Amino acid sequence: MLKKSLFLFAALLLTACAQAPAVAPTTAATKVRLPMGYVANVQYAPYYIAVDRGYFAAEGIEIEFDYKFETDGVKLVGAGELPFAVVSGEQVVLARSQGLPVKYIAQWYKKFPIAIISLEKSGIKTPQDLKGKKVGLPGLFGATYVGWEAFLKANNLKDGDMQAQEIGFTQVAALQTGKVDAVVGYTNNEPIVLAQNGFPVNVFAVSDAVDMVANGLLANEKVLKDNPKLARGMISALLKGVADTIKDPDAAMKISAKYVEGLKADDPIQKAVLVKTIEAMQGGKPGESTAAAWGNTQDALLAMGWVKTKMDVNTFFTNEFLP
Amino acid sequence: MSATKYTIDQPAETTRTGAPLRAFVRHWMLQLAPWLTLCAFVALWHLVSLGYPAFILPSPLSVVEKLVEKLLDGTLVVHTAVTLSEAIPGLILGAVFGFITGYPIAKSRVIDRLLSPFIVASQGIPFIAIAPLLLIWFGNGAGSKIFLCAIVVFFPITINVIVGIRGISPLLRDLFRTMNATRWQTFRKLELPAALPLILAGLRVGGTLSMIGALAAEFLGTDKGLGFIINQGRGLYDTPLVLAGIVTAVVVALCIYGSIRTIERVVEKNV
Repeated sequence: MLKKSLFLFAALLLTACAQAPAVAPTTAATKVRLPMGYVANVQYAPYYIAVDRGYFAAEGIEIEFDYKFETDGVKLVGAGELPFAVVSGEQVVLARSQGLPVKYIAQWYKKFPIAIISLEKSGIKTPQDLKGKKVGLPGLFGATYVGWEAFLKANNLKDGDMQAQEIGFTQVAALQTGKVDAVVGYTNNEPIVLAQNGFPVNVFAVSDAVDMVANGLLANEKVLKDNPKLARGMISALLKGVADTIKDPDAAMKISAKYVEGLKADDPIQKAVLVKTIEAMQGGKPGESTAAAWGNTQDALLAMGWVKTKMDVNTFFTNEFLP
Repeated sequence: MSATKYTIDQPAETTRTGAPLRAFVRHWMLQLAPWLTLCAFVALWHLVSLGYPAFILPSPLSVVEKLVEKLLDGTLVVHTAVTLSEAIPGLILGAVFGFITGYPIAKSRVIDRLLSPFIVASQGIPFIAIAPLLLIWFGNGAGSKIFLCAIVVFFPITINVIVGIRGISPLLRDLFRTMNATRWQTFRKLELPAALPLILAGLRVGGTLSMIGALAAEFLGTDKGLGFIINQGRGLYDTPLVLAGIVTAVVVALCIYGSIRTIERVVEKNV
């Protein structure tokens, strides 16, 4: 009887061992299509590094870069079609004012990257010198327009004080040919290109006048509720990519060249763009955005009439997923 | 023997009024059919919108509310006027150049061989790709937008002029030749009247295309026009505004189409 029981027990044990895998199965990585909001560019070095060095993979995330328009990315996240998108802060306020269930979870650019740029020879040394001048804007939309309006408000200027005109994305050509006296662009783009073309410039950074929330990671609220681990993983990998970019821009250039078609690792203009971008990524606790900056962002939009009702700024963002 | 009496059977009273009644109902059903289709579409839209948030698919009512709001504050009127100020001149310019190009091509095989391949090839260029170039070359004002509208309208008008002129019966041409008609007389009394229906049909198509051209140019960079309104709605996640802009553009395009159709009918009656 005892022998029979022992035999039965051994048989059961062997069966169980045969079924149990020798090693726990690895779960497949979560594929995340990430709208970047702009074309492939060296500015996205932190993301490229985080993919290249396996930071996302270590968090169980497989990133697919998607270079669609920023507003399309926001809508897809709001609709629950995508979990995350890279967006500028004012897009979150606009989206939430229309009921999109989205939240900003990590700040990537610590300074609002918009600037008013003029040629040095124009003599525009202070914001007040812009009065009566022709100012070219890419369009009456996006971070450039919001940044421009916030800049005007912070410097007690009004729209009618200047001759603002839409020039599309031709800021460099418009300034070089004298079509306009100043343009609104990005601190890490037009000033660098103009300087390289032999046109020294004066730059008024919007971030010097008013602290607004710049580019960062947007998430769908349901994703944050149902899968906080995914959100934490995204942020952790991104911030590691940011830290590595700041630490070693040359390595960042080499890695970015793998992901940006046509980018050469030793391109001096793109290196200058990256260095300027690194400046914008530094300051304060990594990834953190503040209620004050969100308040300034919302105030700018309220003043423009783009947002009709003041909302609780704490609904726009959360820092709870930061490492 | 009495004469055979012949009588004509009279239809019964009910069947005598039945045919006109059916014709009356049929006439009004045909008149109301498009409106019934529209109502069915709106009803379906409303039902589907109940399952989606407003930023994805707003209800028809929210779009109407946005339309009324923008009409009352003058926004729609101002921006519609801007788009029309680009589309109509663009249509006229495209039609004039379409006629000036199409007529010699229709009349001369040499000119046909010289120009037609390039005109056909030009249609392979997506106009949305050349629109930014036009803005750079001609600036961001109305001029570049009118030019883009004209380009969009040019091809269908040209083709219709060519087909219309070539489609004239050789017998009629022979008749005018035997009557020693001058070139101007042949053009004025034969070619133009004969080709006019096709030319006007091309103009109808061109009218709606010129609206597309104006909107496409406005999408690329402007602070006025229905394209700007649609773009602004897109940027503000205000989907009711996007749809209000689209509905307005559709109504305007239909008005252009209807106006040209009315001109067609008047011309057909008098030619």
